[in-house]
Amino acid sequence: MVRPLGPRGSFARMVLNRRDAAVIHFDNVTKGYKNQNRPALQHVNVAIEKGEFLFLVGPSGSGKSTFLRLILKEERPSQGHVHVAGKDLNKLSNWKVPHLRRRIGCVFQDFRLLPNKNVFENVAFALEVIGKPRRFINKVVPEVIDLVGLEGKAHRMPDELSGGEQQRVAIARAFVNRPMILLADEPTGNIDPATSIGIMKVLDRINRTGTTVVMATHDAAIVDAFRKRVVELEDGRVVRDQSRGVYGQAY
Amino acid sequence: MRAQFVLQEIWIGLRRNLTMTISLVITVAIAMALFGTGLLLHNQANSSKNYWYDKIEVSIFLCAKTSSNPQCAGKDAQQGEKDALKAKLQGLPQVSKVEYESKEDAYARFKDRFASTPGFVQSTKPGDIPDSFRVRLKDPKQYKAVSQSVLGQAGVDQVINEQEILKKFFRILGGLQSAALIIAGIQVIAAVLLVGNTVRLSAFNRRRETGIMRLVGASNTYIQLPFILEGAIAGLIGGILAAVLLVFSKMLLVDRLASNIQMASKLGWGSVSLVIIVAICFGVLLCAVASFLTLRRYLRI
Repeated sequence: MVRPLGPRGSFARMVLNRRDAAVIHFDNVTKGYKNQNRPALQHVNVAIEKGEFLFLVGPSGSGKSTFLRLILKEERPSQGHVHVAGKDLNKLSNWKVPHLRRRIGCVFQDFRLLPNKNVFENVAFALEVIGKPRRFINKVVPEVIDLVGLEGKAHRMPDELSGGEQQRVAIARAFVNRPMILLADEPTGNIDPATSIGIMKVLDRINRTGTTVVMATHDAAIVDAFRKRVVELEDGRVVRDQSRGVYGQAY
Repeated sequence: MRAQFVLQEIWIGLRRNLTMTISLVITVAIAMALFGTGLLLHNQANSSKNYWYDKIEVSIFLCAKTSSNPQCAGKDAQQGEKDALKAKLQGLPQVSKVEYESKEDAYARFKDRFASTPGFVQSTKPGDIPDSFRVRLKDPKQYKAVSQSVLGQAGVDQVINEQEILKKFFRILGGLQSAALIIAGIQVIAAVLLVGNTVRLSAFNRRRETGIMRLVGASNTYIQLPFILEGAIAGLIGGILAAVLLVFSKMLLVDRLASNIQMASKLGWGSVSLVIIVAICFGVLLCAVASFLTLRRYLRI
């Protein structure tokens, strides 16, 4: 016999479903740093669904990087909970953190490539250090290098590549393990506008494979052109959460 | 875990701060060699102590024409005096055995012992060494009672307790041993600090790599193992060098010492190899633990 669900029960299930469906869920998160009066994030509530593309905008110091670091469990929230893939990061033990990070890819403004390794080796490094077998690496890495548009450049060294190409290598490295989430912290910050569009196309292509992409950016033109969900932070608070949004009114 | 990757990382790490690694290896080698030398000296002292304390004798030298003791008045001890002395010694409860050594016997023994230094033998004539009673005690510690009852007897020149001489010798040996151990201890401290510095430098040199490793979710062991093994390998090389030094010190120091001063019990290769194994294990463990502890501070996950 199926027990009929009361209104409270169905509400609880609805909340639960929403949390489960959300790949990333910030539940009233406040993060303060020592020796700083104002918290970097204050009472942030954001739910990001699987497969979403989200722009995180706001001036410098508004808490964008803290937001991303909380997802990686590089920081712990002072208050509230961060859920990633249905798991409360506060309850995640330290030795499980590497497994969390294997499901999250990261791209930065400064690329962070290893200068003494070529493109193939840089991408393969991400798989080597999590113990993937050589055969698997040899199969997967060329695929990803093609995906980011670096066909035929697998044996170039990073300093032989343009900024845009270096960022493509970084994206390939972040994506090679097919993560559930891709975090990008101002990935076009060091790149000219024309090249940025190419980078955004790569991120969009990755998003289309079902990967959730969270991108912190200052680049108004890109945000306006893409018309994806926009979360605006200001002084650590969410001041706007808009689907198909633009960079901002002030702009 | 891919061994090839880890080995490659170790090689890069050791090569990048080669000078640090060399100084670490040298420090560990010296520390372990001194530590091993201390252990060897300890073994040697113990085994020869046992040997000698079994054979310990009190020598009662009898008056001779050449002795400077006024009691002797420049005369040899008379046969009657000797007989009386022997009877008296045999009557003492502490004494287990009494032997008479004539001047001729003493000279023969002297010649035999210093056969390798002919100058010594040539400058000594038979009769220079007085005849003596060699008294074996039941308990070497009861030397005082025997010496007091005999001193002042007619015909007795002087009483010498070999234990006193041995004690002096063992005190020197003990001093050497603790000096070696103290210096080894200081070197161990230096080695620990050096390991700390080397690992810190190594971690700093490779902060790009380790940063990316953290980011892509490499496990802590994967990130830390190359550093710890780096320390352990430096420790192992140091330990092997220490082993070489120990073999030399056995051949050049202990054996030579033993042949010069007639140490009855020779230090066997068995105990040397035991000490070498202990020293190598200690060196490896020391470096691995020190690098692990340093990493916990400088490579937060």
